[in-house]
Amino acid sequence: MKIIIILFIALLFSFPVNAAEKFLNIQEVTSDSGLTAWLVEDHSLPIIAIQFSFLDAGAKNDPANKQGRAKLLSNMLDEGAGELDSQAFQKQLNDHSISLSFSNGRDHFNGNLKTLSRHKEKAFNLLRLALNSPRFDAEPLERMKQANISRIKSSLTNPNWIAARLQNDLVFNDHPYALNSGGTISSLTQLSSNDLKEFKDTFLKKDRLAVGITGDITIEEVKVFLDQVFNDLPSDKGSHQTKKSSPTPKLGHYLYEKDIPQTIVDINFPSFSRQDPDFYAALVFNHILGGGGFGSRLMEKAREDEGLTYGIYSSLSFLDEAQGFSISTSTQSDKVERMMQIIESEIALIKQDGVSEKELTDAKSYITGSLPLSLTSTSKIAGILASLQKNDRSIDYLDNYKKNIETVNANDIKRVASRILNEEKMTALFVGPHAPTTNINKLEALPNVE
Amino acid sequence: MAQHQQLHDKMNISLSLKSVAHLVAALFLFFICSMQLAAAKIFDAKSFTLDNGLEVIVVENPRVPVVTHMIWYKVGAADEQAGFSGMAHYLEHLLFKGTEKVVPGDFSKTVKQNGGNDNAFTSQDYTAYFQSIPSDHLEKMMEMETDRMLNAAPPPEHYASEKNVVLEERRQNTENDPRALFNEQMRSVMFPNHPYGTPVIGWMDEIKTYEWNDVKKFYDTWYAPNNAFLVVSGDVTVEEVKELAEKTYGRLSQKELPKRVRPVLPPSIAQTNLTLEHERIHQPAFQRGYLAQSYAQNREDALALDVLQEILSGGATTRFYKSLVVEKKLAISAGFSYSGNSKDYASAWVYGTPAQGVSLDTLKDAIEAELTNVIENGVSEQEVTNAITRIQDSAVFARDSLSGPAMIIGRSLTTGSSLEEIENWPDDIASITAKKVQDVAIKYLDINAPWHRAPVSGYLLPKEKEEATE
Repeated sequence: MKIIIILFIALLFSFPVNAAEKFLNIQEVTSDSGLTAWLVEDHSLPIIAIQFSFLDAGAKNDPANKQGRAKLLSNMLDEGAGELDSQAFQKQLNDHSISLSFSNGRDHFNGNLKTLSRHKEKAFNLLRLALNSPRFDAEPLERMKQANISRIKSSLTNPNWIAARLQNDLVFNDHPYALNSGGTISSLTQLSSNDLKEFKDTFLKKDRLAVGITGDITIEEVKVFLDQVFNDLPSDKGSHQTKKSSPTPKLGHYLYEKDIPQTIVDINFPSFSRQDPDFYAALVFNHILGGGGFGSRLMEKAREDEGLTYGIYSSLSFLDEAQGFSISTSTQSDKVERMMQIIESEIALIKQDGVSEKELTDAKSYITGSLPLSLTSTSKIAGILASLQKNDRSIDYLDNYKKNIETVNANDIKRVASRILNEEKMTALFVGPHAPTTNINKLEALPNVE
Repeated sequence: MAQHQQLHDKMNISLSLKSVAHLVAALFLFFICSMQLAAAKIFDAKSFTLDNGLEVIVVENPRVPVVTHMIWYKVGAADEQAGFSGMAHYLEHLLFKGTEKVVPGDFSKTVKQNGGNDNAFTSQDYTAYFQSIPSDHLEKMMEMETDRMLNAAPPPEHYASEKNVVLEERRQNTENDPRALFNEQMRSVMFPNHPYGTPVIGWMDEIKTYEWNDVKKFYDTWYAPNNAFLVVSGDVTVEEVKELAEKTYGRLSQKELPKRVRPVLPPSIAQTNLTLEHERIHQPAFQRGYLAQSYAQNREDALALDVLQEILSGGATTRFYKSLVVEKKLAISAGFSYSGNSKDYASAWVYGTPAQGVSLDTLKDAIEAELTNVIENGVSEQEVTNAITRIQDSAVFARDSLSGPAMIIGRSLTTGSSLEEIENWPDDIASITAKKVQDVAIKYLDINAPWHRAPVSGYLLPKEKEEATE
């Protein structure tokens, strides 16, 4: 961890206290015009990685008849800007080995730039153009629409994609999250360059930014970068607020019939936010039950003991307006009943008996011990810096992470298990030839695809 | 980057992982294939050989206090006996089921307790096991991997359940997806009489047949220090690795290894066309595989094919995408891919999805015309220069990773490249001329004069709805 050690030594001279506990030396940099970024300087390779988000500018703002709008914008920002048409813009990127991409989360709109430091001027200028003067020419617009429609048609062959669409619809039901952030075949067809322009002008505003930067760049260069790239964007003038609501999930068991050899199983429970006092306990709980892969309870029982599946995983999701806990797996279709027995008994067991001290110690030691593995490339570090800000974490979050995980005890896990694993709030989805139970709702249509 | 660079399943890399949790590793290998290989002394790897023949390669990278520790065996699915398909991969699974000293599952649990992740993967030519972990636990990893090299002893009650896991893996990744089944058939037609035509995971009905005794013979034959490479990348020095390797792997004895005899691929003169119409296909697609030579077979040709790939398919402004998607509007996506990392033959693929209203035949003709253009008119000096620059830049980006360098080095070594060749790869790429690029196009991609075997073409189509007759 030479970055960290060297910076730590530097810090000894500049800060009087507490520097020794820094896990990652993150500096908050503020530009002349007041824009900020979180920076980890690292000159060991001639590479700069930048990730940024426009908060609350994601697909949740797309109305039903404009599903895929944020997605299409993410496809179009690098398809021509300023004097450069699509091919000219792409040629600048390609000839200088610059990776520039945009993506739409449900909550936020994200950008990603990676360049060799020798091409940084060029890279920053292309990003500035993409954000400030995208052209939205008719030719690339049609090309990107067709590419998205083709992507949807290809995905229809994949039963996991089908399951994801259905689960989305069940769990988010009456909330904009239920829509298809990738667009539908008909909504994509209708989107126009005006839609994109309007969306960009409304949501890509400079006071919504969260910027993470790492690599071969100095504080002074970051300041110039921020002002050069982002300062000409419009401002919300501090009025950025989105109304938030919680979805009402459709509960119970659902089957979407599909003649395939394996049945996909997706189970979902509502959960709680990152700001909840039980957040750290939830991370440990998830690791023990099914988040940890090999060695997790569900994997041990379903795969290692009985050979029922190639994999079974649990996960926590933290969208701004909805949080969930899910268990997903797939198994030979006539084994689904046995699989459900295992899942249900593991749910009952962890609620009733909690976890052992050994499981708790092992889980905590993995979660804290593996943290450095998340810092092994510039892209990973830039991603973490942007995420911390998106998730409204303080700059010393990682420094306190270990301590916060270590305070979790067995009672906390048991409490979290009871809070999350409430069968009355469960949504279970099966995609496969038949259902494991008779009490099941059949889903006939695939929502938000056509 | 918009949507131009959709990842195409190249079909010539058949990896089969122990778990999808670390699919990242496999994805990285796919990524490497499109991104290309290593770099001019870019890794500055150090190496030494233990007395028992184990070759050790160290990439020192002190940025973060973690290491990736990988052991690569020079044996894979292509070394299985006929009738035992999938055995190398089943063995890889069983090696997580304990030894005389370690109880089933404890290998991975120990890695996790120490803050690490582990997994393994099997390919046609190699089998690799790896852990990424804080560097102070490297010795423990080496100790466990040493034990696993010779002392595997999975308890009998795990034979059948792990076999079921593999069957579920095949159902999940292949049987559940008609495109995967189609790709498998394409390969079996492309490589008749050669094991590359058999999927790494094995045929369903063969996976069910073999027993631990059969697998054990395979393990006892091939798993040995003198049939492996150890690659360590991360915050450790070569001196430290040497000391630890001598203490651990150094205890093992070498084995007498059999020769790896692979059947030949007979020549063919007839082109093969495969068509699948399936009700679960909604997006038609075309793909064609040409037999080519690998780095191990013909390094100079392989280098030129890598440059050709970059010229045809290295981004939105290179030939395939620019001509077929942007200008002619015949395709939604189109590309050319070549992966030269195999011990025996390699293959080059063209592929595309047609634009709305364009037939697969029209798209196929247009793709063919792009290749004919290279065969007849060559490529420009500027295209070659740009391609070489991009490839060399990609080698710099390859260093920005912990496990990436270990993956690249292990994969290249086990498919016949030397460490020197890996380190010099960007320089060697720079020696490729426009003339040489045209030469390899003529040699491998001329449908009228194919190299060794005529190409295999695949047409994937939605099933036409039966007209109601009543």
